[in-house]
Amino acid sequence: MKSFSIKNISSGIIRQTVAMLVSCIVAGGISQTVFAQESPKEEDFFKILRVSSPEGTILEVGGLTVLPNGDLGISTRRGDIYIAENPTSLRPYFRKFASGLHEILGLVYKDGAFYCAQRGELTKLKDTDMDGKADVYETVYSWPISGHYHEYSFGPKIGPDGSFFVSGNVAFGSEEWWRGESRVPYRGWMMKISEDGKMEPWATGMRSPAGLGMIDGELFYSDNQGDWMGSGGVWHVKKGSFVGHPAGLHWTGLPNSPITLTEEQFYAKIDKRQIKNAQGRYIKPENRVDEKFITVVDMKKNFPEFQSPAVWLPHGILGISNSEILKIPGNAFGPFGGQVLVGDQGQSKIMRVFMEKVNGEYQGASFDFRAGFQSGVLRMAFAKDGSLFVGETNRGWGSAGEANAGLQRLVYNNKIPFEMRAVRAMPDGFEIEFTKAVDRKSAEDLSSYSVESFIYKYHAVYGSPPVYKENCPIKGVKVSDDGMRARIVVSNLRPYYIHHINLEGVRGDDGSFSLVHPSAYYTLNNIPSGSKLSLSETSTKNSSLTAKKVPASGTKKAGQVLKPDQVLVSPDGPGGGAAVAKKPAAPTYDQVKGLLAKHTCTACHNPAKRQVGPGFVEIAKRKYSNERIVKLIHSPEPQNWPDYSTEMPPMPQVPKADALKIAAWINSLK
Amino acid sequence: MTKRFNLFSLAGLSGLAWLCSAGLAYAQQAGQPVMLSDLSAFKDPGKYWQVAGDVNADLSKQNVLSSSKGTGILVNTFSEKNRPKDLISNLQHSDADLELDFMMAKGSNSGIYFQGRYEVQLLDSWTDKVPKAGGNGGIYERWDESKPDGQKGYEGYAPRINASRAPGLWQHLKISFHAPRFDQNGKKIENAKFVRVELNGLVIHENIQMSGPTRGGYPDEVLLGPLRLQGDHGGVAFRNIKIASYDKPHPELFNLNYSLYKGKYEVDPDFSKLPPEAKGASTKLTSENSTIPNEYLIRYTGTIRILEPGDYNFNVSAKGGRGVLKINGQELKSASSGDPANKVANLPKGDFPFELTYSKYVSWHNSVLGLGISGPGVRYYYVGDEDVYGVPDPIQVDATDVTILRSFMDVQNWGRVVHAVSVGSPEQVHYTYDLDRGTIFQIWRGSFLDATPMWHDRGDGSSRPRGVAKILTKPVFTLAKLSSTQTAWKTDTVGANFRSKGYTLDTNGSPTFHYQIEGVNVSDMIKTSAEAQGLTREITVQNPTNGMYAKIAEDKTIQEISKGRYLIGDKSYYLQLNDTGVKPVLREINGNQELLVPVNGKVSYSIIF
Repeated sequence: MKSFSIKNISSGIIRQTVAMLVSCIVAGGISQTVFAQESPKEEDFFKILRVSSPEGTILEVGGLTVLPNGDLGISTRRGDIYIAENPTSLRPYFRKFASGLHEILGLVYKDGAFYCAQRGELTKLKDTDMDGKADVYETVYSWPISGHYHEYSFGPKIGPDGSFFVSGNVAFGSEEWWRGESRVPYRGWMMKISEDGKMEPWATGMRSPAGLGMIDGELFYSDNQGDWMGSGGVWHVKKGSFVGHPAGLHWTGLPNSPITLTEEQFYAKIDKRQIKNAQGRYIKPENRVDEKFITVVDMKKNFPEFQSPAVWLPHGILGISNSEILKIPGNAFGPFGGQVLVGDQGQSKIMRVFMEKVNGEYQGASFDFRAGFQSGVLRMAFAKDGSLFVGETNRGWGSAGEANAGLQRLVYNNKIPFEMRAVRAMPDGFEIEFTKAVDRKSAEDLSSYSVESFIYKYHAVYGSPPVYKENCPIKGVKVSDDGMRARIVVSNLRPYYIHHINLEGVRGDDGSFSLVHPSAYYTLNNIPSGSKLSLSETSTKNSSLTAKKVPASGTKKAGQVLKPDQVLVSPDGPGGGAAVAKKPAAPTYDQVKGLLAKHTCTACHNPAKRQVGPGFVEIAKRKYSNERIVKLIHSPEPQNWPDYSTEMPPMPQVPKADALKIAAWINSLK
Repeated sequence: MTKRFNLFSLAGLSGLAWLCSAGLAYAQQAGQPVMLSDLSAFKDPGKYWQVAGDVNADLSKQNVLSSSKGTGILVNTFSEKNRPKDLISNLQHSDADLELDFMMAKGSNSGIYFQGRYEVQLLDSWTDKVPKAGGNGGIYERWDESKPDGQKGYEGYAPRINASRAPGLWQHLKISFHAPRFDQNGKKIENAKFVRVELNGLVIHENIQMSGPTRGGYPDEVLLGPLRLQGDHGGVAFRNIKIASYDKPHPELFNLNYSLYKGKYEVDPDFSKLPPEAKGASTKLTSENSTIPNEYLIRYTGTIRILEPGDYNFNVSAKGGRGVLKINGQELKSASSGDPANKVANLPKGDFPFELTYSKYVSWHNSVLGLGISGPGVRYYYVGDEDVYGVPDPIQVDATDVTILRSFMDVQNWGRVVHAVSVGSPEQVHYTYDLDRGTIFQIWRGSFLDATPMWHDRGDGSSRPRGVAKILTKPVFTLAKLSSTQTAWKTDTVGANFRSKGYTLDTNGSPTFHYQIEGVNVSDMIKTSAEAQGLTREITVQNPTNGMYAKIAEDKTIQEISKGRYLIGDKSYYLQLNDTGVKPVLREINGNQELLVPVNGKVSYSIIF
């Protein structure tokens, strides 16, 4: 429904404009209203439309595939496969092609048949009597499964040789309910299955491999945060790769296994954190604040087959439960054709990934792309017209989009957003390619950029805080003559680390707009060799060293243009705080929302509503003291919230002062 | 009406004021068996009701029940010439739970009249698609002779679903009956009620109010009446009759007071030294008297009046914390360590101090305080808060066409079948097939599947039959190569080179399963049989190897009752071989009987139930 999206967009703009006006008034005591020009947002380029379906059709989408004739194949958790005819029209026709299958989590179409992964097998579905419904439900390959709830199976994706890739989730322990385990062969593995039903074990180390993607003939997969997984990301899955979760190593010794690393070898070097208490019960491993720990960087050294992500999708920032990986066709989505999209269930959004190969390994940058889907984004498929079908479900895990399920369509309006098109690693920094020319003044100002890097722990604990965070000073910047590229010279580059590149100050060449998404997260697996820039070739101007103090970039509103003689102070900045500082009262939402975003609280929590985690209002009802909330931020107790499926990771990185402020605000909601 | 019964009815009423409906699973207490060593439990039985040791119906002959000497089974040997009259129990009952097995002769009609007045119909209507009030398990209609023809019958209640079995098979019935109540003047103040009727494991009625006796029942209404088994319409047999009679007044709570304390108490504090946050009188037992959401203790004190001495069970519901129940100053002990909330006490008649403390400290749980009580002649009842926390809407799958659904399927005493396919039919004959072994392992009638466990919230991937499925076999292969007919059947899947090839659907949507085993291709076609009598199965093996057998039944007993027709287990289903040429092997192995058929290309049989 077109009018719907437009309404949403305009109300969003109105909200934001009002917020800006208020901030101007509060800040400077400016008596006249200032006309604020908004930086364009995601929704100004990519509209979310719905796909009409008959009332009562339960589309908890597990698989999407576009047929050669443009029809859309949809598989669902309820075990149905629909074919939506004319799926980009106002009234697609839904035909139920097959039913009764076991929680289908993937769908492809090949040579006149559908192939789908059920929980326990790869199935081929064919309509031989041409009545529009499948009459052959053929088992291509049936794999072992123990029957644990978490043993989902995903796929298939079709490899270059026509065979099928399927992945399987780990189960969890009974007493050790937190520990991913592979109870039967090939749970936590990637399987390669030929059309005639031969299975070749391909790789292991998967924990919850909900997203597979074939990109230029290479297999990729996405995983999400959990035990041994500090954060989600996109992995290149080569034959014999071990991508991180040790459960699947249990089956290293099976015939045809391409893995040589055994469980014994692994745990000889890595602490399993399998400890019992005095009563003989296993203790759930928790994040230790003052411990010696290892990271994936160390893992690469210890185990050569260890495959770290090609591109990290930092947890809480670029998703919390990554899903489908899909290459954008060359002719779709304007400047992003040929790049990669990754869905996210919990945050109900889509991220964008640019990858390049350095020293033979994939690496690259991840960006936010489009949020606001009605439920968890699980599957994506491009329509013939270049729009994107988005298949959604949160199936009990909660998601930012409040619906349990959905089928929507993302349509590009062919206007060029001002974005980082790509970020490429350079021997001495990064080269940023833009979609539109930049404003030279801002782009040649070092204060427009910041880079810091971090990595995650590799341990048996659920998730990881970002660790070893360090600043990477920017020495110089060289903007190309056409204004489409900026090469930044950065010191303190560290291989395998995630480099957060922030371009908060860079403006478009019409001088007014900031980037739609000013942050990129570059996973620097390898630093390329080659010629470095001499600083004399670059601009080393840094206005922050000369200009008056301006508010920290993190609190600046996108779209605010600061003229040198005009100092705006936003209400959550130091100046604005003074107005309310007279009262020792709890901070307001406006005063903490920057912190909530910065520390990724809002990735899972909404002020009032249940999302992935409880609403802040619900937390307030627990009547914890502020100090207790700080403790719970640093080391959460998920057992207090058994009704929620995704446990909260420890967040010791949140400074106590910030956490106290957040806690005081939460408690003000009582 | 005697004084005693007035007291009973009054006590029942006083309880209503503070009785909330049970939020717990329905619990029917174990009844007293009705001894069937002779007919002494019944008044003037006549000569056509008999006690027997065994009984058999004939699937193809109207109204024939043949019995053999012995005891334990009550048989109505109906014939058109010799029509037994209704059998009346000596026992007089009011509120009661009745549980029994029954068997119908083909085409037969009988019924169970509670208090001689309110009839649950028994009928050989096993293949009816649409259940009727006059069908098996129906609550028979009332009758008004003054109305014109066609309008005389009224207020009959069809069962929710036809859950019946074939004639000659034992069927199971559980009924909770609530007797009418009368005031001091004998005026009815509360209707009789079928609280719950369960046929073959399916709930078919709940809380059906009876405005008066059904057709054929004694016309008046009373507090006490006999059980009456209809005898004049056809052959029927009963066994394992158990009745729990609830004719005793239940305990009452008086003078309830509460005190509320703030804090987390994992053991009860010394209340004499602790000032309460709040206190007051209460008309009911509830956590709602607490103004504190969590980390509080509420203590109820009062008097419990025991009118009937004997053994009582008190089920303490104290969610998100702990509950301590004291009667006469003594803390009650748990019945077993596995069921700590279930407390037991032997109590004499009299008034005793009562104390129940509820310490609530698990922050995420709702406050739920309640007490379930049952005792000698006292039906289980519950007082307190309803636990409505987290009850999902059920997700039910009906079979209006042939309906297939794959899921995990749990099999009692065995485990989880992970590649299971359940197939339902509009005839309401359903089964589950194990794709890992090529085996039908369970069958049932009535409603198809409950998919709530699979599709609600995260789900666990499993569904379950709505109703009680008959487990035909533990999941093992249907086909195997045997070196001799004495070789035990394989219980594992190792080395058989089994490979599922899935299934194909015919134009009705009925599946034929395909697989490979021992190097041969097998197709396994299963359909609902004609007239909905059960399932027919045809296994076709291409190029069968020597020594290949199909195991088509396994149970404690397998009895060939006519050529090619077998009665399996405790008369739980029939198996009919459809190919007269085959030479089946009926063997006993490890204390079980097994029916094997050599495989020469085709194996064809029907399951009738």
